[in-house]
Amino acid sequence: MKLKTKLTLFNAISKLVIAILFVLLVPVLIKKISRSYVDNNLIKQKSKFLQIVKTQGIKNYIPDGETYGSYYLPLKEEYLTIEDDTIPGHLIDTIKNEKRLVERDTIEYRILSHTFVVNKKKYLLEIGKSVATLDETSTPLQSIAFAVLIGMILLTILADQLYTNRVLKPLGQIIKSKLIGQKFPNFGSYKEVKTSTSDFQYLDISIHKMIETIEAAFQKEREFISNASHELMTPISILQSKIENMFEQEDIADELKVRLLEMQKILNRLKSITKTLLLISQIENEQFLKEDKISITELLQEVYDEISVRLSEKNITFDILIPQDVILININKFLIFNLFFNLVNNAIKYNKADGEIVITTENENGSLIVNITDNGIGISTEDMPFIFNRFKKFRQSMQQDSFGLGLPIVKSIATFHRIKIEVDSVKDLGSNFRLIFPADIIGYVS
Amino acid sequence: MNVLIIEDEEALAHELEIFLTNHNYITEICYTGQSASEKIAISLYDFILIDLGLPDYDGLDLLKEAKKNNPDAACIILTARAEIYDRVRGLDLGADDYLPKPFSLLELQSRMQAIMRRKFGLKQSIVELGEFIINLTDRTINCHDAVVSAITKKEFDLIAYLILHKNRTLTRTQLSEHIWGSVINDDYDSNYIDAHIKNIRKKLNVYAAPDWLETVRGLGYKIKMNI
Repeated sequence: MKLKTKLTLFNAISKLVIAILFVLLVPVLIKKISRSYVDNNLIKQKSKFLQIVKTQGIKNYIPDGETYGSYYLPLKEEYLTIEDDTIPGHLIDTIKNEKRLVERDTIEYRILSHTFVVNKKKYLLEIGKSVATLDETSTPLQSIAFAVLIGMILLTILADQLYTNRVLKPLGQIIKSKLIGQKFPNFGSYKEVKTSTSDFQYLDISIHKMIETIEAAFQKEREFISNASHELMTPISILQSKIENMFEQEDIADELKVRLLEMQKILNRLKSITKTLLLISQIENEQFLKEDKISITELLQEVYDEISVRLSEKNITFDILIPQDVILININKFLIFNLFFNLVNNAIKYNKADGEIVITTENENGSLIVNITDNGIGISTEDMPFIFNRFKKFRQSMQQDSFGLGLPIVKSIATFHRIKIEVDSVKDLGSNFRLIFPADIIGYVS
Repeated sequence: MNVLIIEDEEALAHELEIFLTNHNYITEICYTGQSASEKIAISLYDFILIDLGLPDYDGLDLLKEAKKNNPDAACIILTARAEIYDRVRGLDLGADDYLPKPFSLLELQSRMQAIMRRKFGLKQSIVELGEFIINLTDRTINCHDAVVSAITKKEFDLIAYLILHKNRTLTRTQLSEHIWGSVINDDYDSNYIDAHIKNIRKKLNVYAAPDWLETVRGLGYKIKMNI
């Protein structure tokens, strides 16, 4: 999941949870608030009443001879009663919820009870406020709170969304411009991503520095291989000439000549490795021109001419099944020849006696697919990821006089021409190398 | 034939000198570009071998000077810096051939002979071997009146190379370097030369025994010829 989506989701959920909690708490809170408000009010009324009684006497409330006086508001939501308190020693001052029967209606009240003494006579004061009125106010309050809350949450979610979008935009740009679609090792030039978020600036510059380091290391490796193989050419050349001259000297015994020949073979091996490495580095440094064109059948015929002796040594059949000839354009003939030569050579090397190699082509959306299929010893699944690695040798190639650079050459030539390679292989049954030539190196079909 | 060897690697220059002297060339060596430039200005040569990697001189400048002062000389560029650009420039500037190091001395000799044939327009070079007549120009083999047509291009290349270095044992390495030199591949020790020779013998045997094509036990092959 994307960071932006995660943040938005988390924001929305957390806000929703808080809102629900709040809405659930609202009745309790409102009850509590209104109760303390009511209690305060009752206490205020009590003090006011006592004040009046103090200055004007109790007669205003209880006419002489009566023991009881009560005063109601019209809807019975509030009342006040005073009565003689005859219970001796009984002094109370409480506020609690109680039910009262008022004119046949049982109504629940919040009641303040207070005993006081006027003119040496004890009275009990009760001030009540109906509880129903409290609940009446809390329900609309709750729904208003709920509505306001939902509105506010939606507003903040929207604001969050806009803000995260804005704040995370540079991150998206970094990912898009620096990571996705960057093909190793060609990263292109550095473009700074504009952001005021220091973390992103840091990320951007760090990625850039890492890319630079990788590029530099890669460049160094290429330069090293190029320089090393160039530098090795001269000493190899001297040794080769010396051996050749010695070989021709007539006073050298045959026995020594055989040893010279062995030296020549070994030197040749060194030379092949060096030349191959140099070739790979020249391809990677794009020192080859892509200006040739050749028909695929002609090219395969040339490969066959070079390689037929190896085919007949193992009695391998070689079939080229091309329904329609195709001209390859904007290619380097020398390299494309070597690409096919190495693939066919491998198909021979890793084949059994009397095996077969078949080359077929197909057209697919303007691109050309060339299949090189053999029924040789195949490649095991565990070896498969490493077949294009330089100097990688596998058990089956141990018996071969090879140094593990055949497929790496194929790979660099293919990459240089933007040819895709797919390999299918079943151990002991054979391999299929599929070359997919891009449409822009396919010329007219004749 | 006068050959000027311009090569700063003394050991290599020395080997070139030995080889060419053995094959009846008259050689002179210059280890620096400066001295080569002076030599080119005063003396005339048939061949000038120029190493492009001279520390004191641009080899391509030497090539220009050679073309100016020694217009009849054939120039062969020898270089370890096998950059494609150098190759194209060198041939553009009139070099007659280009040999990337490391090269076989036999290859150098065969290139020099090819240039000579080209330059002096030698008549068709026809070689008589036993009952076979081999035309190196037309690349044909005849036995009495029959044309030997089964021989492939590679096989003919092998025969021609052996004829060029006649009476000399060529190793399998030297032969495969000549016929597969332009192929970059993974094998360092190919015995396919034996298969080629076997095929050649088989194809020629249909007409007559090619006893001039000798196997030198443990060493290689040679074509025996009376000069």
